[in-house]
Amino acid sequence: MVEPLLSVRNLTATFERHGAPARVVNGISFDIAPGEAVGFVGESGCGKSVTARAILRLAPEGSSIAWGGHILFRGQDLLRLDDAAMTDIRGRHIAMVFQDPMSSLNPVMSVGAQIDDMLIRHAGLSRRAARRRAIELLDLVGIREPASRADDHPHQFSGGMRQRVLIAIAVSCQPALLIADEPTTALDVTVQAQILRLLMRLRRELGMALMLITHDFGVIAGMVERVHVMQHGAIVETGAVDPLFAAPRHAYTRALLAAVPRLDTTAGPA
Amino acid sequence: MIRMVAVRLLLTAPILLGVSIVAFVLMRALPGDFAQASAGTSTISAEALDTIRRSLGLDLPMWQQYLGWLGAALSGDLGVSFTLRTPVASEIFPRLAVTAELTLIAGLMAGLMGVTTGLLSARLRGMTDWVVRGWNSLLLAVPNFVIATLIVLLFGLYFPSVGIFNYVAFARDPSGNIASLLLPALSLALTVSVTVSENTRAAVLEVSSQDYVMVAKSKGLRPRAILRDYLVRNALTPVVTVTGLQLAALLGGSILIETIFTIPGMGQYLFDSIASRDYPAIQAIVLVASTIVLLMNVLVDIAYARVDARVSYD
Amino acid sequence: MRGSMRGCRMTEAASLQAPRRRTTAQVLVTIGLAMMAVLVVVALFGPAIAPYNPTKTSPASLDGPTMAHWLGTDSIGRDVLSRLIVGGRATLLITFVAVAISLAAGLILGLASGYMGGAVDLAIMRVLDVVFAFPVFLLAIAVVAALGPTLGNLILTIAVVYTPTLARVVRGPVLSVKRWDHVEAARSVGIGEFTIAVRHVLPLVISPVLVQTSLTLANTIFTVTALSFLGLGPPPPDPNWGSMLAEARQFMELAPLTVIGPSLAIVFASLTFIVLANGLRDLLDVTAR
Repeated sequence: MVEPLLSVRNLTATFERHGAPARVVNGISFDIAPGEAVGFVGESGCGKSVTARAILRLAPEGSSIAWGGHILFRGQDLLRLDDAAMTDIRGRHIAMVFQDPMSSLNPVMSVGAQIDDMLIRHAGLSRRAARRRAIELLDLVGIREPASRADDHPHQFSGGMRQRVLIAIAVSCQPALLIADEPTTALDVTVQAQILRLLMRLRRELGMALMLITHDFGVIAGMVERVHVMQHGAIVETGAVDPLFAAPRHAYTRALLAAVPRLDTTAGPA
Repeated sequence: MIRMVAVRLLLTAPILLGVSIVAFVLMRALPGDFAQASAGTSTISAEALDTIRRSLGLDLPMWQQYLGWLGAALSGDLGVSFTLRTPVASEIFPRLAVTAELTLIAGLMAGLMGVTTGLLSARLRGMTDWVVRGWNSLLLAVPNFVIATLIVLLFGLYFPSVGIFNYVAFARDPSGNIASLLLPALSLALTVSVTVSENTRAAVLEVSSQDYVMVAKSKGLRPRAILRDYLVRNALTPVVTVTGLQLAALLGGSILIETIFTIPGMGQYLFDSIASRDYPAIQAIVLVASTIVLLMNVLVDIAYARVDARVSYD
Repeated sequence: MRGSMRGCRMTEAASLQAPRRRTTAQVLVTIGLAMMAVLVVVALFGPAIAPYNPTKTSPASLDGPTMAHWLGTDSIGRDVLSRLIVGGRATLLITFVAVAISLAAGLILGLASGYMGGAVDLAIMRVLDVVFAFPVFLLAIAVVAALGPTLGNLILTIAVVYTPTLARVVRGPVLSVKRWDHVEAARSVGIGEFTIAVRHVLPLVISPVLVQTSLTLANTIFTVTALSFLGLGPPPPDPNWGSMLAEARQFMELAPLTVIGPSLAIVFASLTFIVLANGLRDLLDVTAR
């Protein structure tokens, strides 16, 4: 067994507001090996997004959230890092793609500039070198005429194109782990498949580990090796994809699988 | 773009017309006879009054008088001063420049103060938030002429070396001119800074909860960069608009401030004209000032719509 | 089931901030009302409370604070404290009456405009736009200067100047509210349009109107005192805060303290309504425009 890239032990997440704590993640543990793709499935509110954000220590603005347990990344406990060190991890070693591409890009910056600032920050590139690299990245995620498109603002892109841009941002520093939190939920069905294929290809080419979070078993199939099924802030079932699909043990897993219309179409139309 | 500008201007035209009617009616509604008022307080013969009446066109029907007056105003003839017997226009425009300068400095000050306090309040929350909000409520409660009077009291009595009544013309001494306007601008700016501050606070809070700020954090950008490129740049758009729309308040306030600090701007001119019952001057000032405010609002509107199209396309 | 409960608990946690904000709001409103009570007492019983006749002159001019004259005397020996107390009367009378008128006018015009829509709406709003287009203070000065600074003219001018703001505040919610289901339901069972407007629409408009009214009161204090400060206030010899400040300003070097009294009075009055507006806004949960 290889040394895990990420090892989460007994993670808890508690929202606190004026003395009334609400625990949304109940002591979960899991490992992700280097280059491995792992799926997290569960209905909305089951704590999967909070888990994903806990790894980057991201809390919604204006709320106070407390994490407990350990998140070991290459043996380093992220929950015990100081803020500056954590900032160095974000984007550089662990990057994230969010659910809603329409609201995830800064409307007043060109898309190129939103890749540049990350490259300048982590790779120490000059502005000019960063832009050259940004154009390569836009090309990599399948944006046509990347050199001229880099100067465009987000509103000049469609939803699918924006998600491509956000993926370009996320992979720009070749992170060891990419977290994708419902990356296709806000997109049209035809675009969903393209985005999933893009994620697959990039994962292969860049050798990243992938943590794919979704409520939809249809998205998981063919994308990941192992699946964790989450409910009420806990992992209720874990397994390799095919056996789990063939013989789900937990009732909740069966319910989720039953919600997928047809399993054999999961790869999507070409 | 051009279409939108045209539409906004077209929408403003009837309002401008209404403003001109109000300004016109105001003067004709004077107690007593306009010709009598024009002649001043001295007793005057009936024939002489008739002559004045004819020369001013007062024997014509009201609507003709209005059209004549409007036509003249459009071609830059704003009437003749009762007291100085000179064209009002030649008095207004040099003073307008002084007022514009005062308003501009005050606007910049208000923007700077408001954005700073609003930003602090929204980012630090907690104690800072309460202090800023309390300070804002207090500032809002102190009218600008009270602030100005207290500033005059403070500096006049305790720091006489500062010299608060030393207005210097810009052409003579540019830096001295700006220095002489700083305290007046400050008393004008404080109240307006509250509006800017509150709007900045609201805008920053709104922007903070946007997804792209979370994305920026996930990118590992430094807090300072997130603040500058993601929070402030997005929050500033509505703030600039609000500051622009405060022009009316600044212009109204400058009447008081100029009188207190004896600055030879439009406000003081209006004050003097009221004291000497120089109605054509009053009328012209009301017309010019209102037109400026209206046109500025249209400008702000257009600027905002342009930025808005880029910001909230979806 | 447990999952949805968990969801509930989270939203509960999110709304827990509300009670604390409510308490602060209640405190603010209470303070504001108490301050307003002081103002009302001064306005109603001013002459009875004042230690001296506010217009009686004495040889002791520009005296500093003494036991006899707590806030000193002005340039012709009148007691500053008495003048402040009685002077509040004119200022507050104009303020309250003018705002009451513009509130009534704003309600009528706003309701009519928002509720009837169409040509009525267009006509009313265009006329109000014209008034709204003027810088408030400039219009007030012009009107008062033209018509003469009598009590009636002052009240009328200020009422006119602030009507558009209130009318707009009324019209906005009316426009959005009048298509709500329960209003539709009332209409479908044949309840008269007027009854609907008063029974169903008006209550939902009240909150923003209350907040805007206290803000308008604060603004009116400013306008009234500023006009008086420029010599366009109620005619002498009866005192009012604005003209007292203007007079005191001329003798500032001899008696600096006479400036403080009227300043504090003006600030107290506007602070009253600002505190009240802030409290009401939080209490009634009115979002700022």
